[in-house]
Amino acid sequence: MNSMERVMAAVAFGQPDRVPVIAQVFGHAAIVAGVPLDEFTRDGELLAWCQLKALELYRYDAVFSVMDVNVETEAMGSVLNYHKNQYATIEAYALSKEDNWDSLSPPDPERAGRMPEMLKALRILRNELSDYTPVVGCVMGPLTLTTQLLGLETALYLAIDDPDRFGRLMDFATEVVIRFGIAQMRAGAHLPIVFDPSASPAVVPHQFFREVELPRLKKLFESFKQAGAAVNWLNIAGPVESILPYYADANVDIANFDYCVTPHVASEKLPKTCLDGNIKPLAFVESAPDKITAEADMLLKSFAGRGGFILSSGCEIPPESLQENVAAMVMTARNTR
Amino acid sequence: MDSLINALLDGNGADSIVHTQRLLHAGVSVERIVIEGIEEAMTRLDEKCTVSQFNLLEIMLVGRSVTNVMNYLYPGGSLPAGSKGTVALAALEGDIHDMGKNILKMVLMGKGYRVVDCGKDCPIQKLVDVAEKESPLAVGISGLVTSIVPLVQRVRESLRDRGLGQVKVMAGGAALKQSSAERLHVDYLAETAFDGANYLDRISQEAQSHEQHGTCHGSGSFWPAG
Repeated sequence: MNSMERVMAAVAFGQPDRVPVIAQVFGHAAIVAGVPLDEFTRDGELLAWCQLKALELYRYDAVFSVMDVNVETEAMGSVLNYHKNQYATIEAYALSKEDNWDSLSPPDPERAGRMPEMLKALRILRNELSDYTPVVGCVMGPLTLTTQLLGLETALYLAIDDPDRFGRLMDFATEVVIRFGIAQMRAGAHLPIVFDPSASPAVVPHQFFREVELPRLKKLFESFKQAGAAVNWLNIAGPVESILPYYADANVDIANFDYCVTPHVASEKLPKTCLDGNIKPLAFVESAPDKITAEADMLLKSFAGRGGFILSSGCEIPPESLQENVAAMVMTARNTR
Repeated sequence: MDSLINALLDGNGADSIVHTQRLLHAGVSVERIVIEGIEEAMTRLDEKCTVSQFNLLEIMLVGRSVTNVMNYLYPGGSLPAGSKGTVALAALEGDIHDMGKNILKMVLMGKGYRVVDCGKDCPIQKLVDVAEKESPLAVGISGLVTSIVPLVQRVRESLRDRGLGQVKVMAGGAALKQSSAERLHVDYLAETAFDGANYLDRISQEAQSHEQHGTCHGSGSFWPAG
């Protein structure tokens, strides 16, 4: 089986030749290649080259074109601060509460901010990997983009003080990410993963997720499937057990679960959905290969009878992670049949 | 007082002010409103967060109501000195995420601490300077990015080098809580803002108890982890 067949077999609860392993390697690819993170996140060709090098080094089952979490908000006018070896941070948000948002229009992915560089990376990766290895793009979830357009605090207070206006901005954010995600697939992505950290139950209660975010996620994933997404993949970090049951309703095919949710709970909440997770991200920085191997082995055993599992980290593998730790996770899956 | 507590817990800023005004008109002292109203609301919020999911939105709404009431009781920013002690908070250099720190600040102020906010992207040197000037019970570091771990590991040593080994170091936040207190070289690693506040309550009580019993023999010698 090639990586694409392996991942699709896991998603369908079929019989892959082994459990797929997908290290969520984003900025770590730059560090491995000795490239400053600020260059990696602004240059699509460089990003693709670093990702291909990391894939060659580790031999996991999917490759990502992920710059950072601020691509959409920057394309909408947020001002970022770039740092040599850290991800860019937002210096000034694109919108303020006082603005009139009626005339907002979604950014053109071929022209706005770093979106074209991201598309360039996807074209290169797909050209190199064809359909053998999943090429994964990335968009933010509607709530996350909304909080990045206004700032988290302003956005959440607006959600309570003026829910109608907040809802209209959420609808606009949904349009932005649908358009960007579809552009990514046209450029070569097999799918865009959806990152939605602001939708975590650590940030908003599960009822808020159900009433406010879920309808927009459904629309987003429906649009992606119609545009040809191989699978729908949702990554929300933190203690997600209370919102996992809603994922099936949103047509999520792969659900990431973080280290604070046990395999048993994740399986119970989503019995028919492929899960990926959940080694603690900081362990790749602080731990040692034998411990990572033991953790990965335990996860493989936990899911042996169930199937529908992709071995991965609970969230992004931090850029400064030790290579031997990433390799240990990958090799554990590759050596287990 | 229950009406005020319920309005605060409901995140209803307008009702919180109405109930505060009513209590003042009835002759209830500002100090009583703070201790039996605001601090009690924070205690109940802590209990609620312990038994169910802790989420930022709920804490923010309560925090906004508490801030409104505090500003009403102490107009012009004339907040009282914290009765439980001083705490310095920071997000260290390289970390520009200050929501976690701000939530902890709100919780601590609601519980009667004086908080010195060193801001985000704060150099260790600045944090140590503030600690030297303010003599806090503890410094609190909130971290959302893993890259600041090496900086966190240097805080206690930096304080000790300045003769401030008695100042406790507490850490928390999404990235840091994946680690351990031992690995981070801190005295306590908090799971949530309330967990951190409860730790500070314990060391505050310990400090006050030692003061009352006269067991403090100069430069913080009773502190075990100096």
